[in-house]
Amino acid sequence: MKNYAERNLAMLHFIGLPTILLTAGLLGGLRIDAQTKQFVFIGPPLVTLLLAILLGLLFVRAGAIDLGRWFAIEQPMVTNLSHLLTLSCLFFATAQAFNSVLPESGLLHWMFSFFFLWTLWTNQFSPFDPRRLLRSIVVVFGTAFVFKHLLLSALYTPNKSWLRAIASTLLQGISIEVPAFAPATGYLSFFALAFYVAGLLLIRPVPPAHDSSNKLVVSTDAAPGSPNKPALDA
Amino acid sequence: MQQKSIQIVGVIWTLVYAGFIVWIYATEPRSLREIGTNTQVAAGVYEINQERFNNGLTLFRREQFRAAREELGAADPAQRDPRTQFYIAYAFYREGWGRVYYDRALFSEGLKAVDRAITLDPDGKLVLDDPNLQMHTPAELKAELEQGTETSWKDLNPLKLFRTRK
Repeated sequence: MKNYAERNLAMLHFIGLPTILLTAGLLGGLRIDAQTKQFVFIGPPLVTLLLAILLGLLFVRAGAIDLGRWFAIEQPMVTNLSHLLTLSCLFFATAQAFNSVLPESGLLHWMFSFFFLWTLWTNQFSPFDPRRLLRSIVVVFGTAFVFKHLLLSALYTPNKSWLRAIASTLLQGISIEVPAFAPATGYLSFFALAFYVAGLLLIRPVPPAHDSSNKLVVSTDAAPGSPNKPALDA
Repeated sequence: MQQKSIQIVGVIWTLVYAGFIVWIYATEPRSLREIGTNTQVAAGVYEINQERFNNGLTLFRREQFRAAREELGAADPAQRDPRTQFYIAYAFYREGWGRVYYDRALFSEGLKAVDRAITLDPDGKLVLDDPNLQMHTPAELKAELEQGTETSWKDLNPLKLFRTRK
């Protein structure tokens, strides 16, 4: 029984987690053109890389990732390499999650970027624990998702709706230079964020460690907040 | 040992998947079909659709240039075959050619297509022995298309009414 648990845990940590994060990254930059219904791939803008660095710093500050345990001289090289790749995937997924909820261009792109930067910068100096951090991330991304994919996209819908009326009223007098995308883009963004949050839930502050016999050490009395519990377990 | 194997598989899988994502973003396919075509190109097994190419050629010879371009474009969706791109450029040339004036929009599209043909055939080995054509190499066609997109005093020469389409 224990062998299965160890093996499944290892597969989740070394294969499942990078896959989930990379999938979030893949979907985060994908849009569907409103007219041609063709794929449009948008790489992460420079500002999203900056935002990803700030959020990464927040993960470390809040104790969601203990870098000293993820990379250790006592660990086998392949373990360190695997952890490096996983954290690189997390960085890429974070940048693409921001890319997914940021308007592509125009005044709103810079307004959203500024709000994200402001939030992440002020959070650097606030006391955080992993749970509160996850809630904060979900709220920030959820709000941006609603603004971009419900309110803004409502402006481009051909039929009149109450969402369109609200968006038109809120953005009256503001020049919107956002390209129009098909409604499917909202679904892609939703799944990108869902994969991203799922990835965050699976990340542990201290990764499953190895003892000298090259076996995974799994704590059986893992209480919430203990090193072997997922860090961002809400 | 099993855990180490999982780690190694994880590293390889992560690198392969990350490489796939980078490739997707670099090639920017516009549909799932284009992803398939790009995969064939990357694997080196890409071939044009010969049946549609033949249809396009038939339409080209019947002087139905717009339809010919559609068929030729469908025959080579990845735009990787210099011969097909040459015929597409030629179709733009013939449709855009006029005794009094040239359609510059069509000639510009033709230039793009012939540039693709030249890029795909860097050694300049492509020579089409099609008796229906008066220009047999991409370089000749490019020169003719460039001439058509430029403005000069020669445009005012009334003798140009006697020129012939190649």
